[in-house]
Amino acid sequence: MSQVETVQPPAETETPLAWEPRIIAFLCYWCSYTGADNAGTSRLKYPANVDIIRVMCSGRVDPDLIMIAFAQGADGVMVCGCHIGDCHYIAGNHKTMTRMPLLSRVLQDFGIEPERFVHEWVSAAEGDKFARLVRQVTEQVRQVGPLDWPGRMYRRGVGHGEDLQPWGDQA
Amino acid sequence: MFDATDSAASGSTPGVQAPRVGVFVCHCGGNISDVVDVKRVAEEAARMPDVVFTTTHMFHCSDPGQALIEQKIREHALTRVVVAACSPTLHQITFRRAVERAGLNQYLFEHVNIREHVSWVIEDKEAATAKASRLVRAAVNRARLLVPLDKRRIPIHPAALVIGGGVAGLMAARDLGDRGMKVTLIENRPFLGGRMAQLWNVFPTNEEARPLLSDLVRDVVKHPLITILTGAHVVNSEGVVGDFKTKIKIDARGVDERLTYPGNAIAACPEETISEFDFALSRRKAIYMPYPGCFPPIPAIDWHTCTKCGKCVAAVGGKGINLDAKPRELTLHSGVIILATGYDPYEPLLGEYGYGIFPKVITLQQLHRMLDPEGPTAGALPFDSNTPVRIGFLHCVGARQIDGVNAPQPDGKVKDYCARTCCTAAMHAAVALRERFPKSHITSFYQDMRTYGRGHEEYYEQASQLGVLFVRYSPWHPPRVDKDRAGKWPVVVRTNDLLTDGLPIEVPLDLLVLATGVVPHDISELVTMYSCAVGYDSFLLEVHPKLRPVELAVSGVFLAGCCQGPMDITEACSAASAAASKAAAMISQGQVEMDPFIASVDEEVCTGCQTCLTVCPYDAIVRDEARGLAIVSEALCTGCGTCAAACPSSAIQQAGFNDRQVRAEIDVLLGPVVGRGPVQAPAEVVT
Repeated sequence: MSQVETVQPPAETETPLAWEPRIIAFLCYWCSYTGADNAGTSRLKYPANVDIIRVMCSGRVDPDLIMIAFAQGADGVMVCGCHIGDCHYIAGNHKTMTRMPLLSRVLQDFGIEPERFVHEWVSAAEGDKFARLVRQVTEQVRQVGPLDWPGRMYRRGVGHGEDLQPWGDQA
Repeated sequence: MFDATDSAASGSTPGVQAPRVGVFVCHCGGNISDVVDVKRVAEEAARMPDVVFTTTHMFHCSDPGQALIEQKIREHALTRVVVAACSPTLHQITFRRAVERAGLNQYLFEHVNIREHVSWVIEDKEAATAKASRLVRAAVNRARLLVPLDKRRIPIHPAALVIGGGVAGLMAARDLGDRGMKVTLIENRPFLGGRMAQLWNVFPTNEEARPLLSDLVRDVVKHPLITILTGAHVVNSEGVVGDFKTKIKIDARGVDERLTYPGNAIAACPEETISEFDFALSRRKAIYMPYPGCFPPIPAIDWHTCTKCGKCVAAVGGKGINLDAKPRELTLHSGVIILATGYDPYEPLLGEYGYGIFPKVITLQQLHRMLDPEGPTAGALPFDSNTPVRIGFLHCVGARQIDGVNAPQPDGKVKDYCARTCCTAAMHAAVALRERFPKSHITSFYQDMRTYGRGHEEYYEQASQLGVLFVRYSPWHPPRVDKDRAGKWPVVVRTNDLLTDGLPIEVPLDLLVLATGVVPHDISELVTMYSCAVGYDSFLLEVHPKLRPVELAVSGVFLAGCCQGPMDITEACSAASAAASKAAAMISQGQVEMDPFIASVDEEVCTGCQTCLTVCPYDAIVRDEARGLAIVSEALCTGCGTCAAACPSSAIQQAGFNDRQVRAEIDVLLGPVVGRGPVQAPAEVVT
């Protein structure tokens, strides 16, 4: 029943569309996801480039997942959680707070510009902050242009699919 | 991009059915469909692997909408359900129930938010539809990997612990007892009654505070289901909702019921100290009772002041007093906890509005003690009722302060919140004083008159009618309290009266009463123990001020009274009753349900590095020393997933949010645009 789709390398798509930034946002359920809801109920407008993935706590956001997002073709990644002191799980966001700046430096070592990776606290009431953040991140990613990690790897003959790792040249 | 092995693997796992996904896209009556082309979203979702049915509906949350979901689950033998609608905070529970009614595990359901996150925020219809489609397809891919989960059910120990023996704690204990719950009430002072016992007369009923309080105390004391422990301090707390184990230390009282003539013992005591009950207006003995009629009706010994000279023992013939009594410890089991730790009146800084410098500058609490017939002055003020005495009330002392104008507190912050009770309390006292001293001149210095409650405004009107003079000062230029150069008056207040266009005025006074604010009682140890959320104003923070007003985010812990914010007695009692009914509802369920998103360790992969132990906020992971592995305690795990992110070998996975499930979303969100590559024949689309 499940028929598997073959992956088209992005470099070989038929008619290249105008490039739009593709941004993945990891939001914690208790504050930032509800903050994004708040932006919606306040009818604030922001661009459609940010796709939200819900996690229970920003502490769940494994740096691996962010690397994978970049490896799969994201132009930017956002991680949002509760403000320090407001974590639903006491101190899950403390781990986010220490992990993310470290990850940001690792990403820069790979040539991924700091504009592409944003880590910010958004409370459940800060709908306007979330909307502003989405606008700002979309704009700054647009400025630095496409990352196209899968395309880069493909052109280097590294392969595609599961073995598309930003850190390896394994075939 | 779509992992064929995933579905094959999940199909072969015992208890996990092969994915047959149904996708339901909601119009939300136009809220979504005005912007998003819901039909296209459904069609594009139909091309995803394992999708056997998609449709749209005007209102999926409506009864027919839910019935449709149930019907299609049965008709197409769906094993995974995706609903694209509003925010999961609104209707996730609705759809989970619908799915369960159709005989499917409720965690085989995935909710997609295409209203708050798409149609309400994105103007461009094409972009909105593309985004909605992306999110729905990502959810489908994630749904393919969902496995049935069971809500965790933890049995509840059918007893409650109330911390705090003030009016709120007493009220909560009585309400719980009346519902047939076993209650333990602990109070860290030796006497019950809290702050209310220190008041003389209370608004809005003009009743004396202590008779009112003793009615409540009597109900609690004679209640067969309520155990009262005074002088009890929480030392340590373990466990979670359903089974809290609270270790308490009970101070030795030194006195028991056999003491028949407490007056003789108190009179014999040679040691004196400042009475905190009378706000330092009087002195008390080392063996003391704060007021006649207190509960417990026997004195207590203050061990800091007592020298164990033995004179009290001799005075009562050795019966009922034990100077060698030792504190004891015990552990209380309870299913729920109510925090009723109360407030402290704001203590003005030394020299703030002349407090502590001029003896005729007192606080409103001290005035209440002085007006109290059982108080240190037996209800007398140091004035003759025939003299034209001048009394001032200064509002907003330690409340509504402005950073940069008012001196910061020891914690570096200013008290910038309104204490809510002091305007009415000051008006209530002003009226009482005018009635008692008809020749008095009373001036009220205020910022804004906030007599907001039912029956409160009447005090303001009454005070106005009785000739109380109102002077409005600017919070940016608080009044100055000086001594009178001529030496005729004890104090002089200088300010600019905004009601007369900022006219500088000088009011000489015989007595200045500071209407002080409300600060939370210091419970920093409890805050750490129970991981309470604390607001910017240092009061405890409820989950939601409207929808869950007496619950802490920590499940099973409830808030009653002024630990949550400034409240008058009426409000504190309502809050206490609300907390009691919430707590009783939880206990009477017999068990608590919790989300099953807990972590588990793959013992084959775990290397025993203990990284997870260091990140868990709940100490829910322990190391199995024998096998060198990490073990997750399911009862303690709350499902944040922090350990899953930290595990270097990915041996820990969070149920419902495992790596493959999250990656399944990323894969689709970043995958090629639909319609490009070869895809399977579309599933049935009903629109």
